[in-house]
Amino acid sequence: MAESSASRVNVIEQPRFDTRVLTPYFFILPAVLVMMAGLLYPVIDAFYLSFFDWKIGTPFSKAEHVGLDNYARMLGDPDVWESLWVTFRFGFWTISIEMILGVALALMLEKPIRGASVFRTIFILPLMVSPVVVGLIWRYLFDARVGWVNYYLGQWFGIEPQVWLGDADLAFFAIVFTDIWQWTPFIFIIVIAGLQALPSEVLEASRIDGANWWQQIFLVKLPMIRSILVIALLMRLIDVFRALEVMYIMTGGGPGRATELLSLHIYNRAFDAQLLGYASAISVLLIVIVFLLSLGILLLSNPMKDKSDV
Amino acid sequence: MQRVFMMAAGPIAALALGAAVASSPAAANPYEKYEGTTIVVSWPALSHFQKAETLVEEFTEETGIEVEIDALQYLKLRDRQILEMSKREGEYDVVSWVVMWKGEYVSKGLLTPLSQMFTNGALVDPAYDIDDIADAYLQNGGIVGGKKGYMPGKSGGLYGIPFGAETSIMAYRKDLLEQAGIEPPKTYDELRAALPVIKEKTGVGALTSRGKTGHQVTAGWLLHLAPLGGKIFDDNWNPVFNNAAGVEAAQIMREITQTGPTGIPSYGFSEASAAFLQGDAAMYIDTLKIAAMSRDPKLSKVDGKVGFALHPVGSRCGSETGGFAVGIPANSQNKEAAFLFIQYITSKAGDKRMVELGGDPIRISTIEHFAEQFPEYPVVAEQLPCADPDWRPLIPEWNELNIDVLGQALTEVITTDKPIQPIMDAAAEKARAIMEREGYYAWSDYRRQ
Amino acid sequence: MTGVVLREVVKAFGPVIVIPKLDLTIDEGEFVVIVGPSGCGKSTTLRMIAGLEMVSAGSIHIAGREVTHAAPKARDIAMVFQSYALYPHMNVAGNMSFALRLAGTPKAEIEERVRRAADMLELTPYLDRKPKDLSGGQRQRVAMGRSIVRDAYCFLFDEPLSNLDAKLRATMRTELALLHKRLERTMVYVTHDQIEAMTMADRIVIMEGGIIQQVGSPREVYTAPSNLFVAGFIGSPSMNLLAGELTEQNGALRVRGTGFDLPVPERMRSRASAAASRDVVVGLRPEHFAARNGGDGELAPIRLEVDVAEYIGSSQFLAAQVGEQHVTASVDVGPDAAPLTSGEYFFDSDRLYLFDRDSGQAL
Repeated sequence: MAESSASRVNVIEQPRFDTRVLTPYFFILPAVLVMMAGLLYPVIDAFYLSFFDWKIGTPFSKAEHVGLDNYARMLGDPDVWESLWVTFRFGFWTISIEMILGVALALMLEKPIRGASVFRTIFILPLMVSPVVVGLIWRYLFDARVGWVNYYLGQWFGIEPQVWLGDADLAFFAIVFTDIWQWTPFIFIIVIAGLQALPSEVLEASRIDGANWWQQIFLVKLPMIRSILVIALLMRLIDVFRALEVMYIMTGGGPGRATELLSLHIYNRAFDAQLLGYASAISVLLIVIVFLLSLGILLLSNPMKDKSDV
Repeated sequence: MQRVFMMAAGPIAALALGAAVASSPAAANPYEKYEGTTIVVSWPALSHFQKAETLVEEFTEETGIEVEIDALQYLKLRDRQILEMSKREGEYDVVSWVVMWKGEYVSKGLLTPLSQMFTNGALVDPAYDIDDIADAYLQNGGIVGGKKGYMPGKSGGLYGIPFGAETSIMAYRKDLLEQAGIEPPKTYDELRAALPVIKEKTGVGALTSRGKTGHQVTAGWLLHLAPLGGKIFDDNWNPVFNNAAGVEAAQIMREITQTGPTGIPSYGFSEASAAFLQGDAAMYIDTLKIAAMSRDPKLSKVDGKVGFALHPVGSRCGSETGGFAVGIPANSQNKEAAFLFIQYITSKAGDKRMVELGGDPIRISTIEHFAEQFPEYPVVAEQLPCADPDWRPLIPEWNELNIDVLGQALTEVITTDKPIQPIMDAAAEKARAIMEREGYYAWSDYRRQ
Repeated sequence: MTGVVLREVVKAFGPVIVIPKLDLTIDEGEFVVIVGPSGCGKSTTLRMIAGLEMVSAGSIHIAGREVTHAAPKARDIAMVFQSYALYPHMNVAGNMSFALRLAGTPKAEIEERVRRAADMLELTPYLDRKPKDLSGGQRQRVAMGRSIVRDAYCFLFDEPLSNLDAKLRATMRTELALLHKRLERTMVYVTHDQIEAMTMADRIVIMEGGIIQQVGSPREVYTAPSNLFVAGFIGSPSMNLLAGELTEQNGALRVRGTGFDLPVPERMRSRASAAASRDVVVGLRPEHFAARNGGDGELAPIRLEVDVAEYIGSSQFLAAQVGEQHVTASVDVGPDAAPLTSGEYFFDSDRLYLFDRDSGQAL
């Protein structure tokens, strides 16, 4: 303030740096600090750790500095790439099915038909269950010996008991199925919120313009909630790379590496094989991949861009 | 964390002791010197140790030595113990370790050699009879620094006494084997022949096994490796688990999976046990704990139908041993009292008392004593001499080998029909690379130059 | 029968009846404005014509075809909404051509029609823009363009100008009137603004409480309001309504109330004499007050106690009292007159209205 009054007195004086431009930064400072502490520090620490060969239980001072060895090993490690491939396949199937199913359910239950609110509540129940419990529930449901899945498949269709969690393809199916069970409601909630916020007049206009039910969905409703769909997609995509608990409990990544998503691979490397440095290097790879994917999606379709839509 | 304080019995014990001293002043009470001392014991919150709490109370009552138990979750035990033992003055006077940790503890200088105690005539109970303790248990849990660092041998020293140790035996369903017209298999050949017959004639899975990817499937395979004459490494740390014995053990795992209860590739220890206990498998080869579990109505539907036999023999007899041992940290401030405590709970009387309380014995005399009462004990007594302390290497790299290399390869073995030899060869290559990386071939490379 | 016809239409939302029974005939090519206060049922009526609401009873006919249960797209209508209801994800051309694309119209024809409509509405430079990049007036034009391109039999407007500022609204009113002339289509326009109704309509439908109060040309509803509601609703500023009593004096019929005593004009005399009750409401339009009597002295004197005189240029706008009752008057005294004060003013009693005080119907 002193600056500005001074410059008012002496207009000839060169305009000096106005400290008021710093005010907005001052206001976001606490948020930035919290982000740094909560997000940046662990990331940087993992990055630092990735240059060491550190075994759990030994003091870090004894850890050997190995330079880029961990990265070199990672790039040549087929297990890492297999796990990444599993992650991408998992992401592809879960996200595409969840999006289709979630959107379809939302479109079905959008209208205030009788019982819609009951259905809506039932559909979001899986979201409220903690991932550990989800893992346990489905581990027992898919249990080869006593699980309901095998029991009912046998009772109703006479299908031989399957080793759901012990066969590479079936286990992959099981975790995809479980993920869909748990996360379709997430898409459903977001989409139904988006649909209900759509201006009714635009939808009426499309009816008058002659759009039938399908055309109204694909040419009007879905394009109008596109930014919401993109955000949901992005969140799910990031979730796929974070997913750990459910697979950890259901299969532990097995059989083989059939269900070992990258995050679980990192966990197993860090805490089972006790290779903390190597696991950190793979974590850095994971961060880079998630960053690039998110950036790509945002570039393709920035949800913030359409903020001023009518 | 669960801390149990055992104090209440103190004054009463002191009174009783006072009376004893007054009546015969000549026989000095060996515990007298340490009366009122408090020792801190770190052990896992597992069944055997929970049952030992009564014995601990009795110890305090008899000796006047107070005991504070720090019972930790198994997974947290090691980190906590290392932390305490790395201090200049540690809080723990007695620690209990899984046999896998012993090498690390000793190499870091964290444990007191028990020779320091056994040289003290005033402390050692002449009736202790260390030779009565099953040799396999003692070698496996207590001796460190022998051959390969974890095996018996003249370079080794005694650092702990087994407590809560176990070995592998076979359990079987008498009714189902009878139905199949089969005697309990004594050899691996008989076992392999029996598997499909049992499955076919009874419709029940033949042999249950762990099979989940990672250390579980490796554990299942290791049970068969030693009896078939296989090893993970030779004496020069060359991986040899892809030799005929290793491949045969893998082949057996595959056959077990095909004839066993549904879902072996997803079984961990508890699933594998449950399959047997709930009547979905005719045989079980793993820890002797299955005996106690089969008698527990909460876990078992097969009580009364279970028989026990020796772990089948291949080219040699070889069962797995494992479990816990107890010792004294190097930084303990009450080593003598700690020794008295260890001696008390592993003495002949203490060991018998443990069995009465529901724990597992370590002494041959105890096993013989209860042979009538528990059908598995004669089998255990016979099994113990076969126990192989080298059924897997106790080196830091074992984790990675166990989980990432063998755990993956064996999953491929049991879930596919691919030829086994190439799978095991590939795993051996990976194992060699790890050992190379960690410098195990320094000596042989040096020699070759 | 052509045009738009609503026959005994009833609309109920659950147990709430919003339109008890409505009959309305709109001729082909006619511009009809439905006007009334909020909640009078005018929008519901329009939406029933559009097919966005289904009638509870009765029938609707458009262009001679019964469409009571037809879907909106089968009614050959176009509609402009209050919020414009543009598709935010389509550009102007996309918005305008959407209906044609859905109908599978050939591409060349679509382009031609969009081009013509854009020319007409001066939207050609904006065809590639998204709605969010347009001003309110431009969006409004796009919404109309969307209807024009359809070339529908009947155009429906649901308060299309109420989101615009006053100046733009006046311009758009003119454009709409012009548009109607050019397209010669049947148009039904809903508004709560009687000025829009008066300026654009061929015929005005005044609704209140779900019931049509009067249907007539702007002139008719202004000069001959059928009841108190219409009288009060049409005209700006609105008509002063004072309680009065019919009296006979020297053979002449007069209407008298506190502070006024006015002759009943010749044209009403017979009906007034026949009225059931002497108690009436007198309607005096503010613009029929004058400061001076005319040359023939035909105006009736009336005393106004002026509270405020507002200068609005050529006339002054008075908030005043007659007796105990508030009245407003708009007095043309020229731009140079001094602020008007209380005193004797004059009223053109030929233009007064009489309503039955109980039924509210005009006499």
